[in-house]
Amino acid sequence: MIHALRSEWIKLRTIRMNWILVLIGVAFPVIVCVLTAALEKDRDFDAQDLIDLVQTCSLVTSLLLGVVGAATITGEFGFGTIRPTFAAMPRRYVVVVAKAIVTVVVAMAVEAAVVLGTYAVAGAISRSRDRRIVLDDAPNGSAAMLGIVLLAAIIALLGYGLGLLLRNTPAAVSVLLLWPLLVEPLVGALLHAVGVEHPFKWLPYNAGIGIANPEADPDTAEHLARLAGGLYFFGVAAAIALLGAVLTDRRDA
Amino acid sequence: MVISIDALTKRFGRKVAVDHLSFQVQPGAVTGFLGPNGSGKSTTMRCMLGLDRADGGRTLFDGRPYASLSRPIHEIGALLDAGYVHPGRSGRNHLRWLAASSGLPRKRVDEVLDVVGLTPAASKRVRTYSLGMKQRLGLAGVLLGDPHTVILDEPANGLDPEGIRWIRDVLVHLASQGKTVLVSSHLLSEMALMASSLVVIGQGRLLEQCTVDEFVARWGDRWVRVRSPQIGVLREALEAGGAPVAQVDPFTIDVRGVTTPDVGELAARHQLVLHELSTQTGSLEDAFLAATASAQEYHSTPVASSPTAPPAPAAPPAPAAPASGPSGTFAPPTPTPPGAGG
Repeated sequence: MIHALRSEWIKLRTIRMNWILVLIGVAFPVIVCVLTAALEKDRDFDAQDLIDLVQTCSLVTSLLLGVVGAATITGEFGFGTIRPTFAAMPRRYVVVVAKAIVTVVVAMAVEAAVVLGTYAVAGAISRSRDRRIVLDDAPNGSAAMLGIVLLAAIIALLGYGLGLLLRNTPAAVSVLLLWPLLVEPLVGALLHAVGVEHPFKWLPYNAGIGIANPEADPDTAEHLARLAGGLYFFGVAAAIALLGAVLTDRRDA
Repeated sequence: MVISIDALTKRFGRKVAVDHLSFQVQPGAVTGFLGPNGSGKSTTMRCMLGLDRADGGRTLFDGRPYASLSRPIHEIGALLDAGYVHPGRSGRNHLRWLAASSGLPRKRVDEVLDVVGLTPAASKRVRTYSLGMKQRLGLAGVLLGDPHTVILDEPANGLDPEGIRWIRDVLVHLASQGKTVLVSSHLLSEMALMASSLVVIGQGRLLEQCTVDEFVARWGDRWVRVRSPQIGVLREALEAGGAPVAQVDPFTIDVRGVTTPDVGELAARHQLVLHELSTQTGSLEDAFLAATASAQEYHSTPVASSPTAPPAPAAPPAPAAPASGPSGTFAPPTPTPPGAGG
C-alpha cells in the first residue's frame, strides 16, 4: 500500500491543473477574508464574522477539491493511464483505496490551510487595530472550523466516487456541481410541494454542510445535528465511492 | 518464464473478440503475435494482463495468474499503447509514478531514460513528444523493473528507421538472454528479421503457432529461379513438361511445380549452361496474407487503375516480380498447405 500511496501522490502533484485548482481554492477565501476584514469599518471583524465568511467561501474550495478528486480517476481513464497503473498494481482495490486516501488527505490539508490562512490574516488585521480574534468567542467556533475541514474531505471523496462511477471528467464534475446547486434544491422543493415537511433534513448535501455550521446543533425537526449530518453525508459519499470501486474492479480497465 | 494462454475468451456484447484462444510463448525467443486488424491481438494482450476481464479461459505466467504477482513490473514488462500517458506530465514524472508503484528508486528512472535515449527530453511534457518519443518512453517503462518477460503491442509504431532497428536489436538481445518476448507488429518485414516463432490469429482464433520458417514454408509461395545464356531452350523443355514458366529477364525464368534437381538434370540432358539455379520462397508478408485471407475482417479494394497499386491484402501471394513477359503471363498457384485453415 505504501508504494501505491507514493505513486498516487506523485501522480497528483505532477499535474499542473491540480495546483491551479488548489491555488484558486486557497486564494479565494483568503482574499475575500482580507478584503472583508480590512474594509469593515463600522465595527470590529470578530470570530463569528470569520467563521461565517470561511464557512461560505470554503465551499468553493471544497467543490474545487471535489473536482480534483474526480479528475484523479477520470483523467486516468481518459488518458488510458489506468492501464499501466493496473498492470503495475493488478490488485485494483489497492490502487482505488490509495487514490481515495491521497485525495482525502490532500483535501483536508488544503482546507486546513484555508482555515489557518484566513484565521492568520484576519487575526493580523485585527491585531493592527489592537483587537484579537478568539475562535471560541463564537459558539462552537473551533468545532465549526474543524467541520469545514471535514466537509472538504467528504466532498473530495464524493467527487472521487463520482469519478470512479462515471469515468468521465465532464460527467463527474457536472454531477458534483449540480448536486448542491440544482438537484437538491429541486428535489427539496418537489418534496415540499407534495407535503414532506423539512425535506432538506435528509438530503445528503444539505445535511452534510451542517458539519461546518456552528448553529447546527442540536438535532431538530429541520436539520440533523452537526456530527450526524456530516456522518450521513460521508456515508452517502462513501457508498458512491464503494460502488465505483466494485464496478472498477469488475469492469474492463 | 513460459506464458500459457488456455481457452481465452472475450466478448464485447455479441461480438466474440477472442474465441477459445490457446497458445504458449516460450522463453529465449522473440515470438511474433500476428493477425489482421480486429483479429483480437490487443484484446488478447489486455486479457493476459487482467486489464480486460476475460469471459473464459486463463493466462498463466509460469503457472501463476497475473493478478497473483505482487510486483509484476519486476517480472513482466508490458507496453500496450504508447499513448497511455498524461500529456501534461513530463516523461520523467510518468516513469517516476510507475517506478514508485513498485518501490523502484528514482535513479532507476534516469537509467532507463538514458537507455532509450530520452534524457534530453525527460523534463518536457509528454504532449510535446512525437509518437516515436512516446514509444521510447513506453519502452523505458517496460525496462524499469528489468523484467524477464516482455509483452509489446506494436512497439515500432511511429519509430523512425533508426528506432525500428533499435527496438529490434533490444528485443533480440532480450531473447538471447533467455527472456520471454511476445510482440505484435504490422511491420512483417521487421517481424521476419526479429521473430523466430509466430502466433497467428484471425477473428479471435488461433490460425498457426510455429516457427517463422515453418510458417513461410507452409503458407508462402515457392519456385525455382534459373538463369542461363540458353534460357530459350530450357524454357521450351520445361514447358513441354507442363511446368508453368515466367520470364523475369531475357536470361532468367521462374518455374513452379519443379525442384532444383529437376531443372538441373533437365539442363544437363540438353547440355545447357546454367548461371543460376536456386529455390526462391515468398516473404512472411505473402505467407501472412495467404494464411489470414479467410480471417480478414476488413478488406480493402485494390486500386486497379494505379500503376503502383499495392496488392489487395487477401490476394494470393505473387512473389515473382514479372506479371508479364515475352512469353506471356502466369498466375501463381494458390498454396495448399497441410491442414489449411488452422
